[in-house]
Amino acid sequence: MIRFENVGMRYRSGPEVLRDLTFTLDPGTLSFLTGPSGAGKSTLLKLMYLAEPPSRGRITLFGSDLANTKRSQLPALRRRIGVVFQDFRLLDHLSAFDNVALPLRIAGRDAASYGQDVEELLSWVGLGSRLEARPATLSGGEQQRIAIARAVVGRPDLLLADEPTGNVDPEMGRRLIRLFEELNKLGTTVLIATHDRTLIESSRAREMRLVDGRVIELRSAVL
Amino acid sequence: MPRDKGALSLDLVIAVMAFLAGIALGAALIAERASADWQTGLAGRLTVQIVPSAKTKAPVDRQVAAALAVLNATRGVAHAEALSQHDTVELVRPWLGSNALIPELPLPRLIDVTLVPGEHVDLETMRQQLKAAAPDSNLDDHRRWLARLRALVRGILWSAYGVLALISLATAATVSFATRAGLAAHRDIVELLHQMGARGGFIARAFEWHYFLAALVAGGIGGGLAALFYLAASGLEAAGLEPVPFLPPLGLHVSELAWLLTIPVGASWIALITARLSVFGALSRIY
Repeated sequence: MIRFENVGMRYRSGPEVLRDLTFTLDPGTLSFLTGPSGAGKSTLLKLMYLAEPPSRGRITLFGSDLANTKRSQLPALRRRIGVVFQDFRLLDHLSAFDNVALPLRIAGRDAASYGQDVEELLSWVGLGSRLEARPATLSGGEQQRIAIARAVVGRPDLLLADEPTGNVDPEMGRRLIRLFEELNKLGTTVLIATHDRTLIESSRAREMRLVDGRVIELRSAVL
Repeated sequence: MPRDKGALSLDLVIAVMAFLAGIALGAALIAERASADWQTGLAGRLTVQIVPSAKTKAPVDRQVAAALAVLNATRGVAHAEALSQHDTVELVRPWLGSNALIPELPLPRLIDVTLVPGEHVDLETMRQQLKAAAPDSNLDDHRRWLARLRALVRGILWSAYGVLALISLATAATVSFATRAGLAAHRDIVELLHQMGARGGFIARAFEWHYFLAALVAGGIGGGLAALFYLAASGLEAAGLEPVPFLPPLGLHVSELAWLLTIPVGASWIALITARLSVFGALSRIY
């Protein structure tokens, strides 16, 4: 699914944020990414969702070596990835429904074909009555749930979530993790970056810890 | 697409530019029509002037009659008519006023000649025959006047087209600048759509129609105001008022007013193309 080989990353001429990262995320796995603030978790996720190219090393995604992948092929790869951004990145001028439906519109799906799916998903995350609400009128937790619904609506092959439960109460947090687990059972590879130890301890998933720009394997998945 | 802050200023600038473009385009159309009208009016017409001269001392009335006889006998002349002394005085009244002494002035007598359309007339022979019959006669075929008129109209036309080109350029630059500013303000949207796997065309469509419609409306308002300006000028002329003396009528015909429709269409396409190029330019700088 994803293979990092000696990957390094620096922004312009700054210091190296990530150094010699080598690890693999196998298809259909669920993993946690932990580490102190500033360790480079968000940068690592950016490399995975193709927001930045690595400064060095090789990344293989869905069987494609990114160094040899044409620019015109990147949008197709990006469509296979669902991302829950830490700052949600919802579009303020769109309703909750339209925000969630955005990946499907980008994929060229007909509006009539996904209306029910989007409504059901929004109901599942507890926002069935707020379909037409604009993000600005919603609480942080509600916005986070829309961001999660948007990331999973297209049943991506890879789901990357940056602190996805940071703004919701523990009960909703567990509910959202169950959503990720259900998606994972359907075949999606899931990587969740989080500080929430309770969340990690409640799961049997693999844990990778980033320290000083390097990955340390803390726990393999418990089967 | 959310509406940008400052979008109203852009709409206003496009509307003003469209108004100025409409005025320039109207001026070009009027100059073109006036040129055609003047040329049609003077084509196939000649004027014979008989200026009283102390040298020949030949009576003017007799010279007029002799010149008329020559003209009427010339093949290709459809009609020749001498203007009376009264008509001649009326012709100069706008410049010299209604002074009682004017009729006493040695004004030239004029003979208005209409030629048979399509008939060739040997002007040199006619000029010699007229000189022989009326020594103080002078044949004017308006060629010099027409040449100068054409040069003047060409100058006006090129000036109008130049102004039109400058305004179009300024409009394009304004729209381009505003589009880029709008894109910079919505960079987060562009990046998010790009991140979600949207191709350039999908992202460009989200922006270009927004600017297309904004420019269409603003251009329509500006072009509409220019049309109102020319309609008002037509109304004033119809009411007997002459907004600018000695110039051709400022009003536009319906078919000419239709040309003003090109202004909002042009503005909106400039906006659309600029927006598309700006989006692709912005995307090329993102991984």
